[in-house]
Amino acid sequence: MVCIRKATVDDLLAMQACNLFCLPENYQMKYYFYHILSWPQLLYVAEDYNGKIVGYVLAKMEEESSECHGHITSLAVLRTHRKLGLATKLMTAAQNAMEQVYGAEYVSLHVRKSNRAAFNLYTETLEYKIHDVEAKYYADGEDAYDMRKQLKGKKQQPHHHHHHHHHHHGGGCCSAEMKAEEKPETAATKTN
Amino acid sequence: MASKFGLAGGIPERRVRPIWDAIDSRQFKNALKQSTSLLSKYPNSPYALALKALILERMGKNEEALSICLNAKEILLTKDSSNVIDDLTLSTLQIVFQRLDHLDMATSCYEFACSKYPNNLELMMGLFNCYIAIKMYKIAGEERFLMWAVCSIQLQVCCSDGGEKLFHLAEGLLKKHIASHSLHEPEALSVYITLLEQQSKYGNALEVLNGPLGSLMMIEVDKLRLQGKLLAMVRDYGPAAECFQKVLELCPDDWECFLQYLGCLLEDESMFTNTTDPHPVSLAECNSFHVEAEVFDARISSAVNFVQKLIAIGNNNSLRCPYLANLEIERRKILCGKEKNVILKKLEKELEFSGSVSTKALGQSINVLKIQNLIGDMFTLPVNEVEDLAVRMTQMFCQSLPLSKELDVQDSMYGEELLSMACDVLVQLFWRTRNLGYLLESILILEFGLTIRRYIWQYKLLLVHLYSHWNTLPLAYERYKSLDVKNILLETISHHILPQMLASPMWADLNDLLSEYVKFMDDHFRESADLTFLAYRHRNYSKVIEFVQFKERLQCSNQYLMAKIEAPILQLKQNSNNIDEVESILESSKFGTHFLELSNEIRSKPLIFNEDLKLRPWWTPTYDKNYLLEAFEGASYCPRANLYNQIKQTEENILKLIEKRSILPRMVYLSIHSASASVKKNVGANGSVDPKLSVELKVLLERHAKILEFPFMDAVELVSGVSSRQKFFEEPNSDIIDWMNFCIFLNAWNLDSHELMLTDRSDPGSDGWRIVNSLLGKSIKEKIKSAGEVVSSPGDTLPFLVRLITEPLSWHGLIIQSCVRSLVPTGKKKKKGGATEQSNSQISYVLQDSIQSLCDTIQIVLNWLKEQLEKPEDENFEAIFSTIRKQNNNGPGKVFQVLESSLSLMKDVDLGDRILESLNSWNPADVPRKIISGQRGLLSEFLRICELKIKSLQELSVHL
Repeated sequence: MVCIRKATVDDLLAMQACNLFCLPENYQMKYYFYHILSWPQLLYVAEDYNGKIVGYVLAKMEEESSECHGHITSLAVLRTHRKLGLATKLMTAAQNAMEQVYGAEYVSLHVRKSNRAAFNLYTETLEYKIHDVEAKYYADGEDAYDMRKQLKGKKQQPHHHHHHHHHHHGGGCCSAEMKAEEKPETAATKTN
Repeated sequence: MASKFGLAGGIPERRVRPIWDAIDSRQFKNALKQSTSLLSKYPNSPYALALKALILERMGKNEEALSICLNAKEILLTKDSSNVIDDLTLSTLQIVFQRLDHLDMATSCYEFACSKYPNNLELMMGLFNCYIAIKMYKIAGEERFLMWAVCSIQLQVCCSDGGEKLFHLAEGLLKKHIASHSLHEPEALSVYITLLEQQSKYGNALEVLNGPLGSLMMIEVDKLRLQGKLLAMVRDYGPAAECFQKVLELCPDDWECFLQYLGCLLEDESMFTNTTDPHPVSLAECNSFHVEAEVFDARISSAVNFVQKLIAIGNNNSLRCPYLANLEIERRKILCGKEKNVILKKLEKELEFSGSVSTKALGQSINVLKIQNLIGDMFTLPVNEVEDLAVRMTQMFCQSLPLSKELDVQDSMYGEELLSMACDVLVQLFWRTRNLGYLLESILILEFGLTIRRYIWQYKLLLVHLYSHWNTLPLAYERYKSLDVKNILLETISHHILPQMLASPMWADLNDLLSEYVKFMDDHFRESADLTFLAYRHRNYSKVIEFVQFKERLQCSNQYLMAKIEAPILQLKQNSNNIDEVESILESSKFGTHFLELSNEIRSKPLIFNEDLKLRPWWTPTYDKNYLLEAFEGASYCPRANLYNQIKQTEENILKLIEKRSILPRMVYLSIHSASASVKKNVGANGSVDPKLSVELKVLLERHAKILEFPFMDAVELVSGVSSRQKFFEEPNSDIIDWMNFCIFLNAWNLDSHELMLTDRSDPGSDGWRIVNSLLGKSIKEKIKSAGEVVSSPGDTLPFLVRLITEPLSWHGLIIQSCVRSLVPTGKKKKKGGATEQSNSQISYVLQDSIQSLCDTIQIVLNWLKEQLEKPEDENFEAIFSTIRKQNNNGPGKVFQVLESSLSLMKDVDLGDRILESLNSWNPADVPRKIISGQRGLLSEFLRICELKIKSLQELSVHL
């Protein structure tokens, strides 16, 4: 049985091994660190019976205009562990955390136009809608669907509010990120 | 009030924040503009300068960044004591210095700051960060700074020895703060609870969690899980089980939680003591139950009821946990009961009935085979039964090809595991029978699998090891490269190839491997200060700790240390024909002392083994063990059962190996020095000889002897008497290399010190030179005599010869070069006359003799290599391929036959275009041909090295 739990920094070793077994992704290691050190609540792994990592979701918070929203950076499940609903569980965990911890109003992601399996997962199971098409988003020239899902938009718990000496110095809900590295050379999200 | 708070480096934070935001979003130009305007307002603020330096560094303007940093440091270090040195300034400077590779300068800033505040020594120098954070906390009263301080303390305790008392300090600080300000960040609460847990104050942690601060935990189930865990830690199992029950009601698919729930019901402590491994009891550890039989029954039945309830309310059809929970409960009930063989028999019977080709039937068959492999112990089966298994697996794989016809090339095929399993079995047959055909078949089926789908990493890893064993390293390396190993995988995966490459003549590829790996690690260390800071700024304090510990883990990596030592040793090998080059390489590593320091460092900290050994094949469970090099010792022997001990053994061996390798460059340096000093003394030249160096070489020789587990004098005794005894050459190959090195450096040391009378007992007129020459010659002759044809003799003879020539023999060559250089200084004419000339000619004679002997030795290898290379390719091809093509019923060939016949049956089956195309391109004869050409590549490279070596030695002798 596979369990879904929050990622730790040590999981990184196994998460990258996951990439060896799936498609190779061209994220640099520091990009993983960037995520886990900035929004640790948004990284989940699927761990199997023997403690092996068989899938993970990598997500972050973004702030465009005034709407605070989350973004799914990467989703991977080992081919040996497909069709078990792991991707759905990983996504749900990350989405819930976005909503509950950061008060995200919606969550976005990119997916290759040709990746039907992933597209079906996002539209049918997870109820994402196509928001836009980004032409030539991927390094190989393929277009990406920019997809979004509205969250309940629960406002953030006021754990910062009644507090006079706080500075949201890059650390609060959102902060801009390394845009240049957002696109790996291969698929940004992948799953069946 | 606002003006008092939020100072960053003495500058109001509101002025600094936009700059950081710009940096974070990589708008460096904008950041630079703002920072320039900030500097116009605070021209002498070290913090403002540090910020600008940081931005410039990010923009790639390293020189400008460095000069501004130095400026900031200057101001920081010279300003009067009224100037506040704060952590932000220091850590910003540290980041820039570190990224510019000037960590020393960052450290000196910290050192200065430490010396400036001697009154606060109660917090210790090492806690300087924390001290500063506390100071900032006092100034600003911000929770953030307090958390910085607490984190620093935790790091201090976790990453160095002792200091647990410091936890009290951290706890005290937090309590005081909570009393006056409470806590406001979820991460702060999490740090507080971890701090209590680290002190085993689980009860207190529970109180905090159940109190008002508990509301900071935003995710309800996370809080329940933590509560459950803490309750279990204080052995309050009833309420703990309730907590987990609640979690399961909210998240019925949380398997880990179910196990914890069951653990609480059965009062199983082990479930919670090892937090990193929350996995269910295995068969071995289940013998003792923790509760009375009656209680056990009652608790189990309540678990059954609960699970039934979960299933009943679960309306989600992807729910799996409750169903598997039933199985787990059953498993617990029968844990020590049934015979495993009974289960196996039952399963096999099931299998017989499912003859149809469907994915489900295939999956069942694979599972049965796996279970058989796991508990059936294939090593005890007779050879023909094992062979039947391999045949069946291969056949099943071929027959199931049609199932995969719709699949994309990226998708795993059905039954991929069958060929990996068949390969395992064939290698076992090779081990047991020593029949080369089985080895070829194991490679053949994997290559076949990769022809159909080229992405199967399991096959590639197996091939890396099979080709390595068959001295076809170029193919092994090719397969390894196709795995596209990068980033952290360099740390966890490269053990599959690196050790073989270290003993190979493929120097350029080895150099790539080593430098890519070291670069990755160094880059990470350089960036890690930056990343730590990122976590601090996002207030993710628990991640700061995790991250720093992770970094420690990489820093103490045995592979990293090894790579750092092996990289320059490789350079020494590559340049060993040119003593001047070697000296300049040694100079850049502080004449080899750098590595001595490195190896001393590791003694203070345990080495970490991050390698993922689980992916290694059964016959080489660790990189210093290869069962195929040993004889099969009968059915009682199963490598898998010995895995744990083997890993422990390897970890010990690696420590020794690192020590051995780390003293090597220094020994080479000292030997060169000693050799030249001895000649200079003899010819009366006035070279200043440092007696300390000779003493140091002796100390290292003693250390080397100790690593070989011999007292120094016994080791000397052994090498002097070696030509009259055989035992020495029966040692494992790696030990012979070590003895050879010892002997060579011993001779070099004795040339100058004359402390010993080195004489071979069976050769009364001999000296150290003669002993070395005869040892080198003998060991090579012995090896070559017993070596078969490379093409049909897998094993470690070739790597051994490569190491012997490129290491001990090369070091000896350097010692000779050093003597010759001192004897015949370039540009000077030989002096004539008297005693000097006589002494000269005597040395000259000895050197001539040694050079000749070395050349003869290398020539033996050279002749052997030529012999191998001159064999017609067709003859080699026949030698290999015939092993699986013979028509009788015994021996290998059955798997190959079944592969061929299954494929011919596939002609009329719809396999889809992609698979059909791959099948058409498959030609089994390509496999042996590629093996032969891979071997030729390796041999030619080695030949080239030998030829160059002889040539350079011959040139040397012309000078004499």
